[in-house]
Amino acid sequence: MKKRTLAIGLILTLRLVPFVAAQTPAAPASTAAPVAITDADLKAIPAPDAKARAQGDPDGSLTGNVSDITVADPITDKTPKAKGLTIGDMANQIGQNKIAVNFVWTLVCGFLVMFMQAGFAVVETGLCRVKNANHTMMMNFMVYGVGMLAYWLIGFAIQEGGVGAVANLGNSPVLSREFVVTLFGKSFGLWGQGGYFLTHGGAYDIFVMVLFLFQMVFMDTALTIVTGAAAERWKYAAFVVSSFVMGAFTYPLFANWAWGGGWLANLGVNFGLGHGYADFAGSGVVHAVGGVTALAVSMIIGPRIGKFTRDGKPLAMPGHDLLIVLTGCFILAFGWFGFNPGSTLGASGNGALRIGSIAANTMLAGMAGSFGAMLYMWLRYGKPDASMTGNGLLAGLVAITAPSGFVNTVSSCILGLIAGVLVCLSVEFVEKVMKVDDPVGAISVHGTNGIWGVICVGLFSDGKSNYGGSWNGVNGNVTGLFYGDPGQLVAQLFGVATLIGFVFAFSFVVNFLIDVVVGQRSGARVELEGLDLPEMGALCYPEFEVRAASVGV
Amino acid sequence: MIITGLAIVLLGFLISLASLGIASGVGARLTLVLVGIAVSLTGIIGVLNRAYLSKAPWRK
Repeated sequence: MKKRTLAIGLILTLRLVPFVAAQTPAAPASTAAPVAITDADLKAIPAPDAKARAQGDPDGSLTGNVSDITVADPITDKTPKAKGLTIGDMANQIGQNKIAVNFVWTLVCGFLVMFMQAGFAVVETGLCRVKNANHTMMMNFMVYGVGMLAYWLIGFAIQEGGVGAVANLGNSPVLSREFVVTLFGKSFGLWGQGGYFLTHGGAYDIFVMVLFLFQMVFMDTALTIVTGAAAERWKYAAFVVSSFVMGAFTYPLFANWAWGGGWLANLGVNFGLGHGYADFAGSGVVHAVGGVTALAVSMIIGPRIGKFTRDGKPLAMPGHDLLIVLTGCFILAFGWFGFNPGSTLGASGNGALRIGSIAANTMLAGMAGSFGAMLYMWLRYGKPDASMTGNGLLAGLVAITAPSGFVNTVSSCILGLIAGVLVCLSVEFVEKVMKVDDPVGAISVHGTNGIWGVICVGLFSDGKSNYGGSWNGVNGNVTGLFYGDPGQLVAQLFGVATLIGFVFAFSFVVNFLIDVVVGQRSGARVELEGLDLPEMGALCYPEFEVRAASVGV
Repeated sequence: MIITGLAIVLLGFLISLASLGIASGVGARLTLVLVGIAVSLTGIIGVLNRAYLSKAPWRK
């Protein structure tokens, strides 16, 4: 017995030795003086041997070397006295490499966000009935073009025309014209004035092109939220006009106030409220703007025929394809990795390496949201509802969008879980109390949880994220109420008040006028027959033609 | 009713905005901005939505 104890003790000791060794403090770093590098040192760096290079480079050790650095004054046979490679050339190359990394990062993330349009399209179409599938898909397809046109002509200039230099994208000064008024003795930026057509005022600039592409796909995400809430009864012509106005004015105005150097971003500098309104990737700017506009449009056009009984009881109108609904949710979750981590506008410099944390937060909040919704539906209705679980995933992602750059993983899970439950409660409230018809739950997923995400910045920001030493011009890190800064929560609530009080009202007036001039709602006969044939001229699923015709008036 | 509802929604926003000028403490601004949000929500849910519900086609 004693021998066995000794043997176990020896094994444990041996196993612990490496662990203890790993915990011992590391030796202090060398205190030797830094070595100064001169131009002569650079010239001594050998380029790969030409013969070796001619043999190919299967392991990649020869490709990318000193001979690839752009030299301002190269030594050639005709210019033997030229400077050759200098430290200045090295510094310029390093600078360009940093911006190149950031350009590629921002563009690729923008491409991912663009693919989210496909996710929205199939989620919304799957949640609609067969007879409206072509119409819903076409709205999602053309919102991309309509929104982009409006944004290129007008919207981008309003949003980013006064944004100023963006350090991660090269510090170009060409977008620096903001229309400003003075209120309470402080400057209130209201809209940008440079960059129309991406050429006006020096905007023909590579930085502007990258920023336009990235911001355009964000704007389109906001627009496509409305098509879901208004699906199955929105007149196509009204959709085109409404989306154009939203892409040109509604979205860019709020985006300017939050991201383009406008008054909400400056609440910290001007009024000492935390770091001003902070919305890392757009819970408020993208999702809540889309959500409150969706609410306005849904109220104006009214519910689908048959959605409510005469005593106001809502009836279920199931979508036609859960398979593409959940596939679309996965596509959206994939695209969200462009949405949130891409909002650093770079992968190098100014705290941009936080992209790892942002991506992990995004992934976890989505997971927690799907759990929240699934468990709520399971406990309340006895089954883990598939479409609501999908909406829970999206709700978690919407909620983490604003705080993704400022919170830790535990907070991400908490706020995502709450978002998953919140989306179920909100869907019930919108349908049963407000009696507003929202076929896909867009108002709840994007509006309610967009606002929840904005508030989360003011609650959960842990003060650990430092993007170049300041955010919105205020030194230090964004810190929420739970970590000691109540001012940040107030700044976030100003954003909420603006979304509910101004953006909703603006969207309502615009769409009310469109209703008067164009007419927002398709006719009852068209709606009963299905919008595909009367509005689009073709069925999405032609083999169902007989059945679609049979449900007509 | 629709115009009244819209006016109340905008009033909520203006209350929040005005807090920047008439209050200086975080607590006072927090109170006013919450009042503003509540007023706007009342305008949307309590007035504007009711105006549309009162003439909803499913009631007929």
